[in-house]
Amino acid sequence: MATLIEDQLRARARTLLAEGTVDLFVGYRQGSNPLRVVPFVARTPAEAERLVWNVVCVPNLAGTLLKHAGRRVGVTLKGCDVRSVVQLITQHQLERERLHIIGVTCRGMADTDQLAAIAEGPVSDITEDGDELLLSVGAEMSRHPQDNLFLAKCAICTSQTPELYDELVGGAVPVAPVADRRAGVHFLDALDAPGRLAFWSEQLSKCTLCYACQAVCPLCYCKQCPITLPRDDPRKQARELTSVFSYHMMRASHLTGRCTGCDECERVCPENIPLSLICRKIEQDGSSR
Amino acid sequence: MDTTFEPKILGMLCSWCAYAGADTAGVSRAQYPPNIRIVRVMCSGRIDPLFIARAFENGADGVLVAGCHSGDCHYISGNDYANDRITSFGSLLDFFGIDQRRLKLAWVSASEGTRFAAVVSEMTEELRALGPLKLKV
Repeated sequence: MATLIEDQLRARARTLLAEGTVDLFVGYRQGSNPLRVVPFVARTPAEAERLVWNVVCVPNLAGTLLKHAGRRVGVTLKGCDVRSVVQLITQHQLERERLHIIGVTCRGMADTDQLAAIAEGPVSDITEDGDELLLSVGAEMSRHPQDNLFLAKCAICTSQTPELYDELVGGAVPVAPVADRRAGVHFLDALDAPGRLAFWSEQLSKCTLCYACQAVCPLCYCKQCPITLPRDDPRKQARELTSVFSYHMMRASHLTGRCTGCDECERVCPENIPLSLICRKIEQDGSSR
Repeated sequence: MDTTFEPKILGMLCSWCAYAGADTAGVSRAQYPPNIRIVRVMCSGRIDPLFIARAFENGADGVLVAGCHSGDCHYISGNDYANDRITSFGSLLDFFGIDQRRLKLAWVSASEGTRFAAVVSEMTEELRALGPLKLKV
């Protein structure tokens, strides 16, 4: 079902593409099921009709923008994505003049894992109704209060309204009092060193060095990465804990001062390693310097 | 058989001060433990924290980064960058539960041969007490 924001976005994308203000318009389209959206690049006004906007538009489009750096791009961004884009502009990876940013105010995005868990069967449709989410499974529809279904990163978000945009879509969103951003870091800091080592050994022993966290990160923009191991490297195949530790430490140290806390790494991790803890930690290090 | 643990230390020394300091230590016959393996770098500011992570990955029990005293850098401010990087990487090590004492930053000038020997001896003793870096499951 088309939402108001979705209609506005499509109309604006159509106009921008038709007028030739932008060469491309980056947004989301429906993925393989209603709980999935995928980044989508519209090149003609007709293609703009495929754009969607709903409560599961989680992926960070800053990474997609990076692939089209140098062209005039229109893009729809949430507050958290705008933070990454601002950082990329600061790092001279994107040019502000070539971007037309349609900011979308955001109350939070739904956690698709949780949605899939509470739905009894494959979800056929998902709609917003005020503070509630309507989940349809076949012909049955159930209502759920939205507040409990937000992503963890949305509970600590202060970017409901994007900090940078050319035009803003969506109503004003009240800034909710946020939970402690660094609760996880404080929890780990309270442990002693062997406790932390045990915690990370347990978590990181799940890591398969698939490098999804590195591939998805919008701020990992080097053409050649010195920290990932090539496929045929014996260390990658052996996957010893030392290699995994050093990979995550190197990644963290390279992202210090760059990471904008979009938590995409944690979202894409197939082993659900709490990588956002590392992001909060480097955020703390970066701000205390 | 003597089973005292002998730590392996990787020393990354700046070419202008610390490396020359190590040379002075040799020339003046200052005694220090043979646990350190030295790599010469042009400036301590060249040391990317990933070198340190790789050193630990490849079996080092400790890493010593040594450069010029603040203000004495041959490249004006390289050692100040090194200070920032190494301090922040130390805090990351701590976050992952690896004892921060395994990474040491020292300022040694070319004439401080005895100081270099003292730094290495002290670090070796510390690491002996800490034991090997165990990251195996």
